[in-house]
Amino acid sequence: MRILGIETSCDETAVAIVEGRGEKVRVLQHEVASQIRIHARYGGVVPEVAARAHVEKLDLLLRGFGTRDSELGRDGKGIDAIAVTAGPGLITSLRVGVDVARTLAWAWGKPLVGVNHLEGHIYANWIGHATCNTQHVTFPAVVLIVSGGHTELVLMTGHGKYRLLGATRDDAVGEAFDKVAKILGLGYPGGPAVSKAAERGNPDAIAFPRPMINSKDFDFSFSGLKTAVLYRVRDSNFKLQTSKFTADVCASFEKAAVDVLVEKTIRAAVKYKAKAVLLAGGVSANRRLRKDLGYAIAERLPTTHYSLPTLEFTTDNAAMIAAAGYFRARKRQFVDPMKLEPKANWQL
Amino acid sequence: MKHRVVSHSEKETFAFAREFAKTLRGGEVVALIGDLGSGKTTFVRGLARAFGIREPIRSPTFTLMHIHHVKRKFQIPNSLPDRQAGKFQIRTLVHVDAYRLQNARELEEIGIGEYLGKPDTVVLIEWADRVKDILRRSKKVHELRFFHGKELERKIILKTKKARAVAT
Repeated sequence: MRILGIETSCDETAVAIVEGRGEKVRVLQHEVASQIRIHARYGGVVPEVAARAHVEKLDLLLRGFGTRDSELGRDGKGIDAIAVTAGPGLITSLRVGVDVARTLAWAWGKPLVGVNHLEGHIYANWIGHATCNTQHVTFPAVVLIVSGGHTELVLMTGHGKYRLLGATRDDAVGEAFDKVAKILGLGYPGGPAVSKAAERGNPDAIAFPRPMINSKDFDFSFSGLKTAVLYRVRDSNFKLQTSKFTADVCASFEKAAVDVLVEKTIRAAVKYKAKAVLLAGGVSANRRLRKDLGYAIAERLPTTHYSLPTLEFTTDNAAMIAAAGYFRARKRQFVDPMKLEPKANWQL
Repeated sequence: MKHRVVSHSEKETFAFAREFAKTLRGGEVVALIGDLGSGKTTFVRGLARAFGIREPIRSPTFTLMHIHHVKRKFQIPNSLPDRQAGKFQIRTLVHVDAYRLQNARELEEIGIGEYLGKPDTVVLIEWADRVKDILRRSKKVHELRFFHGKELERKIILKTKKARAVAT
């Protein structure tokens, strides 16, 4: 089954076509518009967040898909269904993707699926390489979704069946990375910059707090950790602010954040007798997180399967939306193209 | 209420937010200006709590805008004379973060126009100094500046543009 996926929930405009077969999804084509240079005709930078920018980019991407001897085919003949992110996100941005998807579904007579953005991140784990045989994920699975805007622990009891176990109460972990980079003047994007500096640092140099690590629930809080870093940098002797100091702050911060994420994920996996632990979202590209979670699972839950998405599909993209759409389409969970509305606060 | 406070804890910031909530009538823009970690989001959390909002108030840095609905039965503890109390009802808190934005136009493009000046809505904008044009165009603006003090202290300074319009 071939699915066209469309994603416009926040900054990125993305389109993809995937092919689903059994428990596996293969990406045939995928494009994220921020990678494409669009020369603004009126001489200014088009803001990424603007609905208008989404319209222009989506138009360009779909045209591109249409002209190549593409998988899309004429009038969508190459696909079986359309999947679109319907929330959560910015209502103005979501509406662009949803309206385009509705229109195409109606015009081409294709069934339509509304996908939750977080569900998309989860299904990045089902996208396999053509060459390697990924192990099937078995349920129940505990999923840790970490990105700039999200930090969520989700229990997945089957395809499309979710229960939110916990979430951040203030800042997402990706945001904390970004702001620490800002505090230390490391530039943008902050997450990778902090991780890079951390490689040369000592993770035990500074005892940063591990917020909520002992709380009984599965919620997170990273605002206090960010402030702790701020105070440590502010109160340090200015002369000591060498690259060694920066590296130690980064390494100690990263360790503190990852420790909390790993501990809560493991505890959730134990409590719900998870057969698999999945990582998802942009921060799942973080090396320490990938490694430490892997070690913790091997040590404390040796029979549990550990799944990581391919790096390329950790940040916002449409292939993951199409992948999630495939599993819904397989169960014929379609929506009426006349009725699909974007939901800014859609809970998984 | 005091227009200058020094807060030593989240609790004290919440108490100030509660006092501030009583002065709101709907249709205002609250501009929150201050460095990283100076207490802007903490203040918003306190304000939301004063309005009886139970859901977590998360930072909108990446998500840009969050809409929170005030429960219908909830009435702000009104400091106005009795005959005016209850005349105002705030139904929606809009929590915006301009940290990643360059100018006011970007704010409009994420759909802020739908909420600005709406009589039953209060719009809270973190990093409002990045989108000053929006403030210039709004009729009722409260400006809150946050500063780091010694150790854990935060200073909060409140300025109100067109104070009279707010009082009537």
